[in-house]
Amino acid sequence: MGCKISRIEYFLPKDVLTNEELERSSGRWSADKIEKKVGIRQRHIVRRDETALDMAYEASIKVLQGYDKNNIDFILLCTQSPDYFLPTSACILQEKLGLRTDIGAFDFNLGCSGYIYGLAAAKGFIHSGVAQTVLLVVSETYSRFIHEKDFSNQAIFGDGSAATIIEKDNEEFIFEFVLGTDGKGWDKLMVPYGGLRHRYDPGAEAIEDESGNLRTPNNLYMNGTEIFNFSIDRVPRLVAQVLQKNQLPMDAIDYFIFHQANRYMTEYLRKKIKIPEEKFFHDMLHTGNTVSATIPIALRETLGQGVVKQGDRILLCGFGVGYSWGAVVIKI
Amino acid sequence: MKKRTFFEEILEWMEIEPVDINEDTVFRELKDFDSMAVMSIVAYADEKFEKTLSAEQLQGMNTVRDLMELIGMDYFD
Repeated sequence: MGCKISRIEYFLPKDVLTNEELERSSGRWSADKIEKKVGIRQRHIVRRDETALDMAYEASIKVLQGYDKNNIDFILLCTQSPDYFLPTSACILQEKLGLRTDIGAFDFNLGCSGYIYGLAAAKGFIHSGVAQTVLLVVSETYSRFIHEKDFSNQAIFGDGSAATIIEKDNEEFIFEFVLGTDGKGWDKLMVPYGGLRHRYDPGAEAIEDESGNLRTPNNLYMNGTEIFNFSIDRVPRLVAQVLQKNQLPMDAIDYFIFHQANRYMTEYLRKKIKIPEEKFFHDMLHTGNTVSATIPIALRETLGQGVVKQGDRILLCGFGVGYSWGAVVIKI
Repeated sequence: MKKRTFFEEILEWMEIEPVDINEDTVFRELKDFDSMAVMSIVAYADEKFEKTLSAEQLQGMNTVRDLMELIGMDYFD
């Protein structure tokens, strides 16, 4: 017995933030320089009245098109920008989609590693008989946490959502996972205020960082240097570990899809791990870093373009906020 | 590594137009020096010297000499 990814669709909000707009508002970088450095030309941004749950719904509607939605017997929803503290967004999504009520549903809070963890949980549920068909949705709106004058983070992050259906199958298509956690990086990428440790403070003072960006503790904070250090230290080992666990040499992998953090970082990682360019996904030009959605968006794109074909072995790898990381080998 | 090679390479990695730099050059005074250039310094130190530079160390780095000291003066002749 096994399981497989049978469908993937994604949804991006309509509004976009272009490099030209960033050039105007920041007064610092040229649009070309932004694209050259981080590999991003534009990012989609939610409207003020649009949430991660709304996007999760749109992505789910797309993936369920022409599919019997009554097959779905579990919803896993990954987000760090939920509509409410409670209830969990996955419960609201069950109702909005008109799914059966005898199914499980919950949210989990992870960022760039979230899709890998979702696949691991889905596989676990299917193998243990808890579920047969899992709807895994990742949806993120970091833009809502970013200060209007924090141009560095605005240049990197975009909003987006992706929905994946994972089904029970006679054969296994989702192979061995390696997951990892190191909470010592908890304060390197975070939104300090807004939870119950430190409530949202409307009077919080904005502080300027060394690069001239403004932010208050209500906003998203990223220590770019430390996140970079974490990634270049951890990801090469993670790739080696997941290959070893799957008893595969590197050249048995047809394609590598890493979390699309920013082009500078993914390109550095590719070279460091010595992955051939033609086997490596590199595209965040029109989406930016959509956190947990980058991997399924990449999968959908490569499948759509025929870059990845049926029977190909793909290595997926996510890493970031937490610190949290995970990798898996799958077959399409 | 020859100091001259180091000066050339660090500018190349930061993608900053070739200018004359020396140990006393202040990074922030270089045209186009920004947070991405800092990232490039981290990548360069990792790739060429297998040296991890922390955010804290980089905060105290002003001049090219500071960077050379973080990497280790023994590497340079």
